[in-house]
Amino acid sequence: MTTTASGPLPDDWTLPRLGRVNTEWFTSGKLLIQTCNACGTRQHPPEEICHQCGSMDLAHTELGANGTVHSFTVAHYAVNRALADAVPYAVVLVALDDDPSIRIVGNVIDADPGEVHIGMPVRATWVERSDENGTVLLPQWVSR
Amino acid sequence: MEGRAVVVGVGESPYYKRGGASESEFQLACIAIRNAVEDAGLTMADVDGFASYMDRNEPVRLSNALGTGDLHFTGQTFGGGGNGTAAAVALADMAVSAGYAECVVVFRSLAQGQFHRYGQAGKSRRAGGSAAYTAPYGMLSAAQICAMQTTRWMYDHGVTQDSLAEVALACFAHAQHNPRAVRYGSPLTREEYHASRWIAEPFHLYDCCPENDGAAAIVVTTAERARDCAQPGVPIVAAAQGLAHRGGGAAFTEAGFPTAHYDLVARQLWNRAGVKPADVPVAQFYENFTGPVLMAIAEMGFCEPGEINDFVANGGIQLGGRLPINTSGGNLAEAYIHGFGCVVEAVRQMRGSSTCQVEGADLSLVVAGPGFAPGSAVLFGRDS
Repeated sequence: MTTTASGPLPDDWTLPRLGRVNTEWFTSGKLLIQTCNACGTRQHPPEEICHQCGSMDLAHTELGANGTVHSFTVAHYAVNRALADAVPYAVVLVALDDDPSIRIVGNVIDADPGEVHIGMPVRATWVERSDENGTVLLPQWVSR
Repeated sequence: MEGRAVVVGVGESPYYKRGGASESEFQLACIAIRNAVEDAGLTMADVDGFASYMDRNEPVRLSNALGTGDLHFTGQTFGGGGNGTAAAVALADMAVSAGYAECVVVFRSLAQGQFHRYGQAGKSRRAGGSAAYTAPYGMLSAAQICAMQTTRWMYDHGVTQDSLAEVALACFAHAQHNPRAVRYGSPLTREEYHASRWIAEPFHLYDCCPENDGAAAIVVTTAERARDCAQPGVPIVAAAQGLAHRGGGAAFTEAGFPTAHYDLVARQLWNRAGVKPADVPVAQFYENFTGPVLMAIAEMGFCEPGEINDFVANGGIQLGGRLPINTSGGNLAEAYIHGFGCVVEAVRQMRGSSTCQVEGADLSLVVAGPGFAPGSAVLFGRDS
């Protein structure tokens, strides 16, 4: 599922730079978790080498979209002038229900900062964003 | 203390609010180093090494400008920032103990009024590396990172907002005795703490270190050489640096989240020193933010996480309490010199010259920046 709702941050806010290991994560519109072809270990964020066995033969496994808020903070101070109208906004750390050892930073784009809490059930969604470098599908979260 | 490296000099520049220094950051470094060397009763020609962490002021330039002797050692730590404060002292300890150098200056100079402010973040079109997983979501500052760790730790262990307040209250109370402190003459009440604005929940304004201009330095030399110095040598009893197995995961994926990265440091430090936390009468805990200080107190073994509310309550971490911390006012209320003021204060406690002196203290602990890896700590003793 993708959405055009952008969440709490400005539409021209920073996007991820795509590189050797993260392009699938930021363009597939799926929770593709890097998985080692040699030993089956899952790791996130993706790396250039399997942390378990050292193999560089790495692929991906798709996990389910449901997750639970493991921690969060509400940013009140705008650390950059461009965020002056965005504060206060919540940043969450979501543990995937399929594998809670996988934790992912994001925003709950349909919730007010005051509604966000530890244990909050959320579901992944993808926000399509573009700049002169191309388009990304940014993993984000909605309440469920 | 034979064969053990000792601290023989401490020095500071004046400490300023951000933007308050008329001196450049490099000049502040020179002032602090000069004061430390003078305090030791040494001359610049005696200095033959430099150690620091994340510092812009290169030993090559410092050596030339200050007129040091021949340099035999330079070293700086990897990873994070203020978590290297004690590790930089360990570098000097290693260099001196192993005979690579005889007189090493450890220093940190930081003028946030002249360079990047740690409380702010730039806006880039695209963020790479580990920031790719955080910056697009507005997770940008150290305060926000430590807030994410602290929120979960408070939830897991039932830690109260008042316990965070205790750290700030201890720092401000101690600063009222220290004329060098930027917050000298500006006490803080519990009511003012709770009424102060949020920065990143659960951190209020007073949970966060300020931005300052200043520099601090110490001189480390051999026990033999220390006998001819102006001050009694303060021995480095033990130091440790540590990053646990799989403890360095990006974007909060590290093993053990939430952790201040001090379990491993604690195990090494207490083993090397042959003492236990209960033997330590005074400690300086680097405060980036109050929450990670509480985490570090527990991980260093002073109490269980679930006991932290009781440990810090009723003046437990103030002068006269079970473990007075940050007796100069610390980063929060003396000045944020990236934690190096904590090292200077720990040495003063062993000299008996702190403005909040813990009487009879024979060990003095510095725990460097929590929440970023690798952590580090150093334990000073008394000249016997």
